[in-house]
Amino acid sequence: MQQQPILVLFLALAGITTIVFTYIFVSSKKAAQSEKGMSNPLKKRFWFSLILFVVLGIFTTATIPDSPYYLFADETPAKVVHVAAKQFAFVLSDKAIDPTNPSGENIELPAEELVEFRVTSLDVNHGFAIYDKSNRLITQVQAMPGYVNRLRYKFKEPGQYDILCLEYCGMAHQAMRASFIVK
Amino acid sequence: MESLKLKKITSVWVITVLILFVVSIILGILMRLNQGEVISQSPVTFYSNMTTHGLTMIGIWFVAGMAAVNYLMQRYVKTSYTVNVIALVFTVVGVLMLWTSTFIGKFHAAWTFLYPLPFKEIGSATWATLLFLASLTVLGIGWLIWSISLMTQILKKYSIAQAFAWQHFKKNPKVETPPFILISMITLIGVIACLLAAVVLLVLFYAEYFSKGNFVNDALLMKNLTYFFGHTIANEMLYLGLAVIYELFSEVSGRPKWKTTWYVALAWNFTLIFVLTAFFHHLYMDFVQPEGFQIIGQLASYLASLPAAGVTVFSVFIAVYRTKIKWSLTNLLFFIGIAGWVIGGLGAVIDSTISNNIVLHNTLWVPAHFHTYNAMGNVLFSLGFFYWFSTQFSENSKVSKFTTSTLTLLLIGGIGFLLAFYFGGADSIPRRYSSYPADFPMAAPMANIGAAFATVYLIAILIFFFNISKRCLKILFSPS
Repeated sequence: MQQQPILVLFLALAGITTIVFTYIFVSSKKAAQSEKGMSNPLKKRFWFSLILFVVLGIFTTATIPDSPYYLFADETPAKVVHVAAKQFAFVLSDKAIDPTNPSGENIELPAEELVEFRVTSLDVNHGFAIYDKSNRLITQVQAMPGYVNRLRYKFKEPGQYDILCLEYCGMAHQAMRASFIVK
Repeated sequence: MESLKLKKITSVWVITVLILFVVSIILGILMRLNQGEVISQSPVTFYSNMTTHGLTMIGIWFVAGMAAVNYLMQRYVKTSYTVNVIALVFTVVGVLMLWTSTFIGKFHAAWTFLYPLPFKEIGSATWATLLFLASLTVLGIGWLIWSISLMTQILKKYSIAQAFAWQHFKKNPKVETPPFILISMITLIGVIACLLAAVVLLVLFYAEYFSKGNFVNDALLMKNLTYFFGHTIANEMLYLGLAVIYELFSEVSGRPKWKTTWYVALAWNFTLIFVLTAFFHHLYMDFVQPEGFQIIGQLASYLASLPAAGVTVFSVFIAVYRTKIKWSLTNLLFFIGIAGWVIGGLGAVIDSTISNNIVLHNTLWVPAHFHTYNAMGNVLFSLGFFYWFSTQFSENSKVSKFTTSTLTLLLIGGIGFLLAFYFGGADSIPRRYSSYPADFPMAAPMANIGAAFATVYLIAILIFFFNISKRCLKILFSPS
């Protein structure tokens, strides 16, 4: 449920911006010919910039440690899943996938344990995006030809999870999907 | 005579951009209607329209900014009319080639044409990929010549240090660098850098194409090059618009002209650095990219907002706050455009946070934020210039009731179609889907709401289009 607070934050900031711009516009419309505008603009500019700098600094320090590269970095995964994406399907397997003859099987993953997806592509760039049962995007990584991206995640809820391609990959991009079960 | 020729060619640019803009908006609306299941296009048609829509939009608003900057630059330095004509010819030819590759050849690798998709398309003509690459080459050459020519003209009058306004870091500088020249210089360097990256990218594409499989590119390198080019050019075209605002906002408002100060110089010098490194945020989800680059991506994206908000936006506030100014459609469009730019920027900063990006990347949140600062920001900057340009040689430009209602339409249409994107993004709906799977019941209705509001936006644009084009045609066919 990370998306809802993000939307609320954005709408609040957009609302504040609209109010500030409207207020400033109205102040100009109402201004008398003799009015001098903003007093001490340089000082105000300094404080405005400083506050913005501090806010951004706080945001940076608060959010960077949550980046996916550092999540579960020191833990050993309980389960490894190999993923090969290709136009327009995902191959998932417990074993390493042979790129010349890719074949996979149904995947079942443990809940509350660390899972590592080793994701690559056999043709173009694809996205490997995991959606929970309420169709909310919970995590993702890119599938890139020639590279293996390691995505780590701990599933809390058992059930079926869907995988959607989130990197545009051609004419059947919208139909490229797979799923797995968490028990 | 020189300025008459410049007026005429600028009129041609304005009319060309507006025609292509209307066509591209219609393509966008058709895409949303297809997603809304009101019309039914084949996926290949949808994606080739998407490719045309994206690249045409990027192209036209880039050249709109360039044409405006070229026109205003004549106030300070002599610019080359021949190069302006070359850029126009290359742009028109490039767009025609591009449209042939997409509309007839069904090339559909999206405007980002991420390697190796152009070589692995299914459903397009065999010649389409080569024609597409050739169209980009033509556009790139034309724009590179134009940017280098404008920069050379600046450097004929100002030294490098002066063009960067470094003398303003000391007290009482002997030479004043106008803000317009400073911003144009900073922007042109960025433009040239990203166009050179595009050259490298295209050469690598051609190398693989003509080697017939003997040479294979590295996907990660190609992605970095693609976004260095793509992100930077999309960003720089906004800055071209800002150069115009620095030059014209105070002028049309009947206020003293803005001057370069130490903080304006500092802000824009920093902007150059941040804008060239922010593109890393497009590769957050490629975990094999060195972590240092990922962090630089977030820092540069955050820091880019500091000079923008602290200097440009604040300067507009100072110019307007409790100050009686002459409001015309031009500065109204600039003012609203700055607000749109800020709001789109907020959406961008949220998305450029790595821990948010993991749930927003390639959802509708992405088109949401970039349509905000383009359709409600950059487009308004350029429309403001177009309006000012078309009216400066004719009758009064007071804001009539009709203009106010057109602006209201533009705002209602714009906000509505953007909100459909933002809500879709927060609802995890993927971007670039020709149709939506049944798992997303809200996706199709939301696409239709977006299409309806985009149509309102289009009506407002058509009114501006007729109004501005009529005057531009007069300029074009007037003997003096």
